[in-house]
Amino acid sequence: MTRRSVFMAWLAGWLLLSAPSAFAQTTPLGDPRTMTFDPVTITVPEVERVVLENGLIVYLLPDRELPLVTVSAMIRTGAIYEPADKVGLAGLTGAVMRTGGTARFTGDQGDEELEFLAAHLSMGIGSENGAATLDILKKDLPRGLAIFADMLRAPAFEPAKVEEAKRQALEAIRRRPDNPSGIASREFRKLLFGIAHPLGRESTTDSLSRITRDDMVAFHQKFFAPNTLMLGVTGDFEKPAMLEALRQAFGDWQPQQPIQAAALPAIPPVTASAAQGESRSVHVLRQPLTQTHLRIGHLSVKEDDPDYVALALLDDILGGNSFTSRLFRDVRSRQGLAYAVGSRLAPGNAGPGIFMLHALTKGSSTHQALSSMLNHMERLRQEPVSSEELQLAKDAFLNSFVFSFADAGQIVGRLMALDYHGLPKDFLQRFRDRVVRLTKEDLLRVARQHLHPDRVVILAVGKDDEFEKPLSTFGPITVLPLKPGS
Amino acid sequence: MNRTPRQRDLCFVLGLLLFSTPVAAATSNATAPGLEERVVEYRLANGLVLLLMERHQAPIVAVNLTYRVGGVHEHNGITGVAHLYEHMAFKGSRTIGVTDARKEQPFLEKLDRLAEAMAVEKAKGPASDQTRLAALRKQFTDVEAQAAGFVVPAELATLYQRHGGVGLNATTGKVLTRYFLSFPANRLPLWAAVESDRMAHAVLREFYKEKQVVLEERRMRTDNSPSGRLHEAFTAAAFQAHPYGLPVIGWSSDLEGLSKAQTEAFFQTHYGPANAVLAIVGDITPKDVIALVEQTFGRLQARPPSPPVLTTEPPQAGERRVEVEYDAEPHLLIGFHKPGAGHPDDAVFDVIESLLSDGRTSRLHKRLVQEQQRAASVSAFSNYPGAQYPNLFVIGATPRAPHSTTEIEQSLHEELARLKNEPVAPREMEKILNQIDAGLVRSLRSNSGMASRLAYFQAISGNWRETVTLRDRIAKVSPEDIRRVAAQYFTKSNRIVATLVRPDKPGLNGKP
Repeated sequence: MTRRSVFMAWLAGWLLLSAPSAFAQTTPLGDPRTMTFDPVTITVPEVERVVLENGLIVYLLPDRELPLVTVSAMIRTGAIYEPADKVGLAGLTGAVMRTGGTARFTGDQGDEELEFLAAHLSMGIGSENGAATLDILKKDLPRGLAIFADMLRAPAFEPAKVEEAKRQALEAIRRRPDNPSGIASREFRKLLFGIAHPLGRESTTDSLSRITRDDMVAFHQKFFAPNTLMLGVTGDFEKPAMLEALRQAFGDWQPQQPIQAAALPAIPPVTASAAQGESRSVHVLRQPLTQTHLRIGHLSVKEDDPDYVALALLDDILGGNSFTSRLFRDVRSRQGLAYAVGSRLAPGNAGPGIFMLHALTKGSSTHQALSSMLNHMERLRQEPVSSEELQLAKDAFLNSFVFSFADAGQIVGRLMALDYHGLPKDFLQRFRDRVVRLTKEDLLRVARQHLHPDRVVILAVGKDDEFEKPLSTFGPITVLPLKPGS
Repeated sequence: MNRTPRQRDLCFVLGLLLFSTPVAAATSNATAPGLEERVVEYRLANGLVLLLMERHQAPIVAVNLTYRVGGVHEHNGITGVAHLYEHMAFKGSRTIGVTDARKEQPFLEKLDRLAEAMAVEKAKGPASDQTRLAALRKQFTDVEAQAAGFVVPAELATLYQRHGGVGLNATTGKVLTRYFLSFPANRLPLWAAVESDRMAHAVLREFYKEKQVVLEERRMRTDNSPSGRLHEAFTAAAFQAHPYGLPVIGWSSDLEGLSKAQTEAFFQTHYGPANAVLAIVGDITPKDVIALVEQTFGRLQARPPSPPVLTTEPPQAGERRVEVEYDAEPHLLIGFHKPGAGHPDDAVFDVIESLLSDGRTSRLHKRLVQEQQRAASVSAFSNYPGAQYPNLFVIGATPRAPHSTTEIEQSLHEELARLKNEPVAPREMEKILNQIDAGLVRSLRSNSGMASRLAYFQAISGNWRETVTLRDRIAKVSPEDIRRVAAQYFTKSNRIVATLVRPDKPGLNGKP
């Protein structure tokens, strides 16, 4: 160091000493750590719920800001109800309902018209429900609504579009091995639920090859009726006119055979899975990757479980909140082991939920990362979270609560989902009230009851000969085969 | 600071707005009413451009702080520095993220000296002294642990989250680096204090750990991703001179070698307030926000303009073909050199992109996926890998087994030839405009989407109004323009083709 730079360093130090709150130099607003603000007040708009004569439930919430209308549908169906030898049927049915035309127009004509009108129309069937959305300029609503209703009510399943959807699905299976995180996700689900369980199984080239157009027609017939459908309408409209338009589009649709949730086949309990074990199990899927995909977890609570709230906050503290969670701060920032690391609680509805931790780390730090993650999971059971952590998790939730009511589509979408799952319409407000009351002791009790690091399923997808230590220290190892598409 | 120039700036801007209104009303579609009138533009004395839009649907606000800096400002040896800096900007400042910055500093300096000594020793290659290296590494680990003692982990993010901030993140691209989040609107003072502080006084703590984090990010995005590998090789082949050819994430060896001094110098060069655009959309009162931003960001020192990218890509003479061996299903990329933003032909390429790949009725989807059934997916991008500077028009496709990339290439060339030979039907043009107009209306739905859009156009073209005027330029594109542009640019000698193929000997990087 030259004399001059010594002097400069001394001067810099002195400047800082003379101004202990350096914030005074940068901003006249004071220290952001001590700033306080009024609580954010939310006025939740009243949403109207109407049941049409044929049983169709409609939620209406006008929002006149922009000349757009959005109609979303939720249908009581799902891949969990498809036959075990035809896994993939629900997904294909949803796809071809959208592309395969109706009695009034071919699939290509429908696409041509919708795209010319710059309308967005999507349709699909997921694991536990069906969903469809029409988003269209107000001026084109009559035409869009007619197409939308026609697709939901009377899809034609054009044979060429059926074949196209099957070809695409087969190619997607062929490409599964190219995406390591996709491999990890599917294999982990299979380990948690079992390969035969409706929530664990996956489509294969065999199961797809057995699916015919007739199967899709029958699947649609069975699940799509006015009394299995909910509509949510938001955007630029007057309620009476909208109800009239919906009656025109859907009113003469006769409820065929009422399907109530109770009439659907029950989801079987999870029996044949690694998650049922009384001890930890380690599963290695060998892939020539320079990075290991780690998944750690077990089955967890349903959404209506009284402990869901506390478990959700534990998840935020452990790895759910980015940047500030324990896993992020330790495994990523402090140890530099991972770019992607965190935890996730996905509460169940039809079946059990999932609690999981995940990370991607280079082969030679796999054991270290895994060990740290398990320790963090265990620590939640051993000692209460700190007051600061609980306060941050609460504040983060409560102060961002307003974002759950940021737009009409969100508000209506949530009401439909709660209705669908039989949860109270003020579920989120009750959830918030319980967050406010949570204590460190609540979290500790719930962690001890619902987190089980001693019997988690561990999955590592990667190059196990590069791991710095064998994973057998965590439990007995099973090497999994990767059988794409079969 | 003198108040007069700012006032004048504000008047000047308002004047511009008033002047531009009738023009916009005459040419833009009426379905996006008042978009231009709703934006307030304000320029601070230090050069920072502020764009504001009121949306009072909910008591929330979205901010997007966009810097005109990215991968193009790097060169071999420091690739990845723009992105690494973006990560470091979350580590805090001299006041945030640290218990005592003054005490922390000597440890950070000591770490830098040790890192430098290790780099010098390593550079000796086989002659490097392993014992010395091991000793240095040991010392480094010890000092790193001591420095970590001063860290208040994630304090910046904690402040934002505690006050209801959501979607806190940042992205680094070829030409722009963008910082964004949303939060309850009454917390704007907190955000302004924290954000202006980190943009002025960032301290690169946990620097060496964060390099490891970025290396993991590279492994995820590129090394273990078939498409990531293909895109990296494709872009490198297309740009031999222009820094567009360098990977934004950085070459692994550059990331390992990057010094803190280089990273700080990069910040000093490119993070001047005049190089930034700040867009704020939501439940705000523009007058109050302007005062707040003046109080905070207004205190940032003006810096000399950052140096322009001087290198231009020489004309390509002859087709370039690249193969990437990776044990995965095939994938194809075809690119053609073209001019960038600001050139009259740019809007023509936007139209061609829509014609070829927007939606199920687009030409490429209809032909390759539906009719010929050769492709699983196909798409086109008109501004690859960035909008500024001469760039590429790119078509990407994945063949459907048993079809090959050769067959796909054949089909693509036929479709491109159609553009040269057949005039585009008026209805196809009309469809594209309908989609752009509806897209503009939809863009007003989200605070964060609109903030991003305004900041993007301001940063790329120096004019946020491009978000609307681009539509008018596209409306003027004629079928003849499309024929001319297709004939001029879609030629063999101007083309780069990259394919992903399985290695001859699977197992090298192949699946077991």
